Amino acid sequence: MNRPAAAALLSALLSAPAAAAPDLSPDALLRDHLWREVRQAPASRRPKVGLVLSAGSLRAVAHVGVIHALEDAGFPVDMVAGTSMGAVIGAMYASGLPPKRLRDFATSINVGSGNNLTAASLISLLLFDKLLSSENTELLLRKHIGGARFDQTLKPFACVAMDVYTGEKVIFRDGDVATAVRASMNLPGIFRPIEYRHRFLVDGGVVDYIPVDAAKLLGAEWTIASVTETDYTTSRPENVLESLLQVIDIRGSYLSREQRKQADFIIEPPVGDIGMFEDHRILEAIDKGAVMAAARLEAAKESLILASIPKLRAGWGPKEAKPE
Amino acid sequence: MRSLSCGVWKGHFLALWLGQPLLILLLMAGPARAWRLWGEPSDKKIRPVQELADARKSAEVVAALTPDFMQTLRGTDLRQAYVLKGDGLSALGRVDEALGVYQLGVRLFPKNVDLLTRQGDVLHSTGLDEQARAFYLRALIYEPRHFGAHLGLAEIDRRLGFFDRSASHYEIALETLEKRADVWRSYAETLLAQRDWTTAELAIARAISLDGQNADGHVLTAFARRAQGDLPGALAALDEAQARGAGVGARRARALWLVEAGKPAEALAQADAVLKEVPGDGAALWARARALISLGRDSDARRVLANLADPARFDLAARAARGLGSALAAPGDPR
Repeated sequence: MNRPAAAALLSALLSAPAAAAPDLSPDALLRDHLWREVRQAPASRRPKVGLVLSAGSLRAVAHVGVIHALEDAGFPVDMVAGTSMGAVIGAMYASGLPPKRLRDFATSINVGSGNNLTAASLISLLLFDKLLSSENTELLLRKHIGGARFDQTLKPFACVAMDVYTGEKVIFRDGDVATAVRASMNLPGIFRPIEYRHRFLVDGGVVDYIPVDAAKLLGAEWTIASVTETDYTTSRPENVLESLLQVIDIRGSYLSREQRKQADFIIEPPVGDIGMFEDHRILEAIDKGAVMAAARLEAAKESLILASIPKLRAGWGPKEAKPE
Repeated sequence: MRSLSCGVWKGHFLALWLGQPLLILLLMAGPARAWRLWGEPSDKKIRPVQELADARKSAEVVAALTPDFMQTLRGTDLRQAYVLKGDGLSALGRVDEALGVYQLGVRLFPKNVDLLTRQGDVLHSTGLDEQARAFYLRALIYEPRHFGAHLGLAEIDRRLGFFDRSASHYEIALETLEKRADVWRSYAETLLAQRDWTTAELAIARAISLDGQNADGHVLTAFARRAQGDLPGALAALDEAQARGAGVGARRARALWLVEAGKPAEALAQADAVLKEVPGDGAALWARARALISLGRDSDARRVLANLADPARFDLAARAARGLGSALAAPGDPR
């Protein structure tokens, strides 16, 4: 190597970005120390953690990124609740599918997944008010979780639908998972209501966009919610379908204001501008979920640590001391 | 034999007959690119400046590379001048000016990976990771395994929480930077975040073999051992780090980890030592309070916590102390 080239390489080597040293600041070390205590404590000595996955159609695939980041960090999740697309991802996660498979699933879906959307069915919908069927959602889910029942999932799971005749919120905690999840993401105005257990069920996002209450019903004492609301201020509906969806989103966001207050911690990936037909942005949504979760992780840990201290304290007595 | 020799001559003649016009055409068609045939033009004017840069005399490098002087340079000299001036300004902490120089350099030499990665580095160092990523990716188009671009992308992905992608970039960067202990340590930190303890320990061992006197490698060993449940091993590694001049952070960690190891008396002594160095240190005060609770001295612990829970403090230790103070004072407290 000639001299200028060698010098250039040396210069390049020296100027490469400096690596970070381990963070030994008081807060970082204390967080790490207390987090270890939370992770190692028996379940009775920390709050039961509920992961809440909001509705949000295609945007909600961002939950996959959030779950991936939480799993990477070893964040304890004792139970899962979801609505609509949050229910689909939540059901798979609660059934034991690892984040990589969730990602594979999410990247494989498109606008036509989970329904019988074809040119003919769309014309029937628009001209003759013939609603689409969401049966494919159930079939798609069964491919991944089989015929699992709620009492067979690895983590307790609940999902939410709405009875379109009574307007009641229906929280499913037993029976067949795939049917309940299908009901939970059965978008009104597009899909036929599902008749199940003497009720006519449509998407739970209308009444329970962020199902914190469902997680609490499962016994969660501390909830972390992944919220993928639409930013309806940026969208301009241009047809009947988009107008309908916009109204549902606005209604959902009004409802979710209260639900946000009930969650102990919120991770909100910036996916509000992703429309329900933009399936080419799925990877972007997943990555945004992962990035936001990673950015909020330390704060989430701190929140759970502080909530755990009263219970952890019970094991900090003199008996813990080992002979020295 | 004669006919063969004759054939060879004919072949040479044909090659010359066809080759000469081709060469002339090539030179006429692309004079700007013709230097590629024998290398970029260089008047060697950059050499004295390069020597200043090699001697790390950044201020002199910047002073030497005046706009007037740079106008006299061409080819590799000019490209290297932008690199050296940018590096010099960066080393002097004049990051904004360095960015301007690299930007100008990239406009003139848009395919130069050194300038592209340096612009990425400056943007990355100022937190503009998305813009930095674009420059690193552009550099990888021209040199797919460029260590600087991969190192920058590794750091960005680690910051964003994409540990698997980050580890892959580090692995490529380390093919070139295999002697850089700090990069091995960063790679190890990424692996620790992924909870890949075994590979992390191998990476740390490599870092220590390259730079055994650096305390950070031993601190990382301590974290890796503790993560695998080997607290005595972790404490021993912290001692190694302290023997190599680790700062108060290692002693702070030791105080907390002695609590975890169920050695409250030692934890108390270590916490007191840290508090002598850093009065009011949140982690040390917490370690002190926890050690006192473990020793059954709850009233002493409450005093420490009351001090720590000062309403003017908002660090984690203070917030945790408020919670623990309430729990200690709660009725039915098993004192």
